Amino acid sequence: METIVLGIGITALAGALATVAGAAEDTESDIGSQGDPNSQVQLAPQMGYIHRIFNKAVSGEPPAYGLWCALGAGVAFAFLQILHNPALAIILGSIVAVFVQGVYCVTAYLGRTASLAKFEQPVYIDVVKSLTPVTMAHAFVAIFCTVTMCYLMAEFLHHPFALPLLGLVWGIALGAAGSATGNPFYGKERQYQNQNFGAGVPISASGNIVRYAEAGQRSSLDNGWFTTKFAGPASGICFGLIVFLELWRTVLFEHELGQWGAVIIGFVLIVIFAIIDLWVEKWSRTTYGPYEKAEEASS
Amino acid sequence: MSALGGQARGGDGINWKGTAVGIFILLVAILITYALEQSLIPPGLFGSLQGVALVVPLIGIIVGGALIGFGVHFVPVGGAPAAMGQAPGIATGVAMLAAGAGLAGLFGGAWAWETTHDFWITIIGGGIGGGLMMAITCLMVNLTYVFAMGVPSASGKVAKDPITGFTFPEFKSQGTEGHGLPFISYFGGVVGGFLAALGGTLVYLELLLVYQPGLEKLLGIDAGSVAPLAVSLAGIFAIGFFLVNAVLSAYNITGTIEGPHDPKFKRVPRAIIGCAVASAVCGLVAILTVVAL
Repeated sequence: METIVLGIGITALAGALATVAGAAEDTESDIGSQGDPNSQVQLAPQMGYIHRIFNKAVSGEPPAYGLWCALGAGVAFAFLQILHNPALAIILGSIVAVFVQGVYCVTAYLGRTASLAKFEQPVYIDVVKSLTPVTMAHAFVAIFCTVTMCYLMAEFLHHPFALPLLGLVWGIALGAAGSATGNPFYGKERQYQNQNFGAGVPISASGNIVRYAEAGQRSSLDNGWFTTKFAGPASGICFGLIVFLELWRTVLFEHELGQWGAVIIGFVLIVIFAIIDLWVEKWSRTTYGPYEKAEEASS
Repeated sequence: MSALGGQARGGDGINWKGTAVGIFILLVAILITYALEQSLIPPGLFGSLQGVALVVPLIGIIVGGALIGFGVHFVPVGGAPAAMGQAPGIATGVAMLAAGAGLAGLFGGAWAWETTHDFWITIIGGGIGGGLMMAITCLMVNLTYVFAMGVPSASGKVAKDPITGFTFPEFKSQGTEGHGLPFISYFGGVVGGFLAALGGTLVYLELLLVYQPGLEKLLGIDAGSVAPLAVSLAGIFAIGFFLVNAVLSAYNITGTIEGPHDPKFKRVPRAIIGCAVASAVCGLVAILTVVAL
């Protein structure tokens, strides 16, 4: 009984950590413009739209976070062998990983922006100076929470994978969940805020991203402020649910129904989520209605 | 036609000459493994692994790799155009999303093996973990499209959802190829995550079944001491297999895919053959790593 109670507690804590990690990851990637919408940040100067948006995408979010979380977990694992103080070891590991992330941000911004020189896009040193620490701070929160979550899984739930391997697995999953959920909001709702709400961005508008704010030019900090209203929390809920339900179904049901309990509960959860999704799709069709009458529509 | 107006390249057919060469390489890999299993190669060269089954695990690895390649084609990936609501799907890369789902499943599968030691519970449990990850991610993607962007789902490839019967042309906003995540794509995402994670967990398990006895014999230490090393090694190689097969499949897809209803899905046999051959060669290397110790 005590084991189950401890398992539920660890599951809840890991889910909460994952939620914070997901929110911080998405905000970091939106401020740094690392997800798929960055194609527009890269495209804009080529279409004649010079901007001051940060541009640090070299790889997608999943491999980047796989690297940083594995690095943080690996260094923490090494320190745990000599320090025996998990909190200190995880903090030191996260600091090393964030240092690598900072180097990556600076080189990525300088490299990508310099490649746009022939389109007269300047390299703004103040953008590097002011935004790199902000992305590093968010990345620290994301990496620290993920490594702590992995430590809980390895130490208290006795998962067979070593800490660095768990860091890699959950780092990639974190990046996948964060980029999938957060990218459309940053891409459509923020970069193309001047387009109609309730419709996709016409392909002909590609590259014409919003470059001006209430006063002066738009900074990527404004993008972070905007995306924390929906994309960040949604990514957090997404990753938090993934981690929580994955642990919950195993901790509580792995010995039930001839050891098939966790599998059956997982299947039931998938069906429930599918029903909710179907309801959401139906709701959007009846609430928003068609853009034009069916007989006039062109496929 | 892609979101940027270019024609999809690569065709849908199978290159029979390339397939024949690939199958030859696959058979050679199995033959070498058989020779190792039967100790036909002098022990001085690679060390002896007599009594450790190698051929069946390699076949399991090949099947697992093919399942990963098959599963990736189900995952609805819209890439950058999806992030602007210009095309349907999930706004990220094919390989990375499939790897994310597959690895979440691998986590569950490895844990299930540790507690149950049951082959079927482990691989199906791993598959369900991947499916669950995709079910949650696809739902959150749809919530973003519907409640944050005010965009209903509309496929750009078919006029009607094969599962729900919803029609799409009138729900497609002007100047786009569609947007959102129709239910058929949601279904594809869950099935893709399930298959990719099932395949990855199978690869992990087969490698573990080679490494556990193999390392015991070669290092001369007991099962308890060798377990962490065997688990870590199998886990690292399984992640590598994921990435190899997911990237190969992404090349086959060339850009974006909406799911099982997308015409690009017809290319899947080519990916299965490619992934099986790549998995055979990578599997042989993975086995040789422990043999060469």
